[in-house]
Amino acid sequence: MNIPLNIDWQQILLHLFNFSILTLGLYLLLYNPVKKFMDQRTEHYKKLDSEAIEKLKEAKELEISYEKRLEDIEKIIEERQASAAQEAKEAADAILKDAKEQAENILSEAQQAAQQERARILEDTQEEITQMAISATEKLLAQSSSGALNQFLEAVKKE
Amino acid sequence: MLTNSQAEKHETVKEMMRDAVLHDVNKISLFGIMDVNPGLISAIVITAIMLTAAALIRIFVIPKFEYIPASKFQVLLEEMVGLFNNFAKQNSPHRNKFLGAYIFGAGMYIFFGTLFELLGLQGVTTAGHSITLPAPLADINGAIALGCLSYFVVLSGGVLANGFGGLASALKEFSMPLSMSFRLFGAMLSGVLVTELVYYYFQLSFVLPIIVAVLFTLLHATIQTYVLVMLTASSYGSATEPKEKINQ
Repeated sequence: MNIPLNIDWQQILLHLFNFSILTLGLYLLLYNPVKKFMDQRTEHYKKLDSEAIEKLKEAKELEISYEKRLEDIEKIIEERQASAAQEAKEAADAILKDAKEQAENILSEAQQAAQQERARILEDTQEEITQMAISATEKLLAQSSSGALNQFLEAVKKE
Repeated sequence: MLTNSQAEKHETVKEMMRDAVLHDVNKISLFGIMDVNPGLISAIVITAIMLTAAALIRIFVIPKFEYIPASKFQVLLEEMVGLFNNFAKQNSPHRNKFLGAYIFGAGMYIFFGTLFELLGLQGVTTAGHSITLPAPLADINGAIALGCLSYFVVLSGGVLANGFGGLASALKEFSMPLSMSFRLFGAMLSGVLVTELVYYYFQLSFVLPIIVAVLFTLLHATIQTYVLVMLTASSYGSATEPKEKINQ
């Protein structure tokens, strides 16, 4: 049977066989290895990408934890500053109080000493004045003793 | 080789054009087993050349591939494979692994098979004349083989994806193998005829072959590759689409 256009079933089958071999060969030798390589590279970059994302996530978590720690440390510092200031104030108050007490003691002691000194000076002065009065009297008496005493003695005798 | 006016002068332009369409005069012996159209010899030669090139690339080039391509050839190979792979994925979101491999083979065959006629390789006919080997798909038997195989691939994809429902939907496109085969044959033949016509006349053998042979061949090789690959991929995609999705 003559088929128009010189169509030949045997040659169609030979073309099919030839093309099948070509397609299979190209798949095994070219398409599959290149595709595998491309997939492998895509996987490699995906892995790198996921690793980078993971590291970024870890870094963010680390940053958050450090920020939290920093905040905690700041709070601790503030608390310690406040307690230190309180302690310093208390110490200063105590020192001031001691100083006041000491000053009061010194002042009272000084006043007491001054009083005693004053009393001693007064006593000494009185003694000196007495001594001076006595000596002055004695001198006066010494100068006028013979005449007056004699007169006195004579007057006493006459009576 | 490109002008090759001497080899064609044993027949008139009418005989030559008729033979380019029907291949009923010039036959070439296939290893002494049977006489076949020159297109089949071209197909075998191009298969041998492409497989050899692929084997050499597999042995010497692919093992040296780097993640950041250093050679332009690596970029070209990756682009070629990536192009067909993406084409398969875009047109057929389901079961596209086999489709990618098939359209890669078909695309390479059509493209390099069409460019093959630029080489102007000579064959000896059974009558003892020298003849320029044509593009494999300029032979109607080659075009029918590729068209029918593409349809068979679509049909198989439909059956594997959706059972007999897929078979029915693929069978609806019963004209597909015919249209694919004759579209491919017509497109290839037109290129062959124009080129043969130009080469037949010595006066047209200067300058003009650069445009007609090289540019025209490159253009219709690209277009025919795209057309067959696109048709096969989109038909395969619609055949392998899950039924539930179609019903929605």
